[in-house]
Amino acid sequence: MPVIIVSADDFQQGREIAHRVAGVLGYRFLGRDLLARVAQEKQVSQQDLARALDEPPGLLSRRSRRQRLLSEIEAACLEQLLEDNVVAYGLAAHLYVRGVSHVLKVRIINEPEQRANILAQTGNIPLERARKLAQRQTGGERRWSQDAYQLDQTDPSLYDMVLSLGTLEQDKAVEIICDMVGYRKFQPMTYSRKCLRDKALAAQVRLALMERFPDIRVEANDGTVVAYIQSLKKDQRKKQEQVRQMAGELPGVRHVEVHVIRDYFGQAAQSSR
Amino acid sequence: MSGNLQVLLLDDEPIVGRRLKPALAKIGCEVEVFENPEQALIRLGQKEFDVVVTDIRMDEIDGMQVLQFVRERWPRTNVIMITGYAMMSLAREAMEKGAFDFIAKPFKPDDLRRVIAKAARALGSEIDFDAAEVEKANG
Repeated sequence: MPVIIVSADDFQQGREIAHRVAGVLGYRFLGRDLLARVAQEKQVSQQDLARALDEPPGLLSRRSRRQRLLSEIEAACLEQLLEDNVVAYGLAAHLYVRGVSHVLKVRIINEPEQRANILAQTGNIPLERARKLAQRQTGGERRWSQDAYQLDQTDPSLYDMVLSLGTLEQDKAVEIICDMVGYRKFQPMTYSRKCLRDKALAAQVRLALMERFPDIRVEANDGTVVAYIQSLKKDQRKKQEQVRQMAGELPGVRHVEVHVIRDYFGQAAQSSR
Repeated sequence: MSGNLQVLLLDDEPIVGRRLKPALAKIGCEVEVFENPEQALIRLGQKEFDVVVTDIRMDEIDGMQVLQFVRERWPRTNVIMITGYAMMSLAREAMEKGAFDFIAKPFKPDDLRRVIAKAARALGSEIDFDAAEVEKANG
């Protein structure tokens, strides 16, 4: 059966809906609990993982650390999504699981005024301040997703379905999502399972190599891994060999191809020394 | 369903039929291969197959039209789509129109055999997937 990924402009509401959908369908709920496991396995702070998902980087120097944390989450999440009957929420999966036909992606939104009302009530702040806060949060969401995944997560075209709680009761939203799962076009097939396996493998390879090659980009196709790295001309062969060796040792990798994108800035800096 | 699994295989690239026919025969399928979609449709009008395997992108008649024809004429038949131009929208369209499965080319004969075995199970029949494995192991 399909995988459902829910994203929402209000974290609590989205979580509640995703949780209820999982309950109605008898699916597993995959949420922020995953961070505890990643933190334990990878010896990183659970708070840092959560912050990487929620906060835009303040300083340039922290960007690579945040990308590393996000890659840990991505790899762990994709591993979990390989099993069917899952509802994922709060792990930014809608931004890295793209092009997989059995993954139903849903965005839950509130009308701006309704969102301001919720913020005013929950934060016990004046409505006018809540309106500004709501605007800031939307801008923050946009900046975060563009910075981390070069996508605007408020863009409706990223999703199969956008549900507005301004026009729908929460019960109805849950019902609609559960009904959608029955559509044949969201059923897993050989091709879509392969797409997801390829993404999971690419994420594992990238994670294993990104410490040494922070700008690495990885694609996978049925065990063949294609890695794109930046390099100065003089280091090219050495780096290619390193990538081939490191990636080749990972489970599921049968063949490695390394493409070098010339690091013109680095080269210019070197030649001016 | 009784006897061997009846399979119609349609692909306008002759190499596909040449490679897959013996691979499917090893697991007890009786395979009719077509390179011309028009002739395949004539045959499909005459005989109910258990499984139809069709390429999607072909000249004149495409695999989606074959799928629709089979779904209308023989609702029990499982149709497996194969294509070198796989993408999410096409996969969803095929499933929505009633395809049993969708496989991206290139694939290994074993991949198709696995899907055929699943299609046979869905029709209430078991096929001996291991027969091909044993034959492969024996060279």
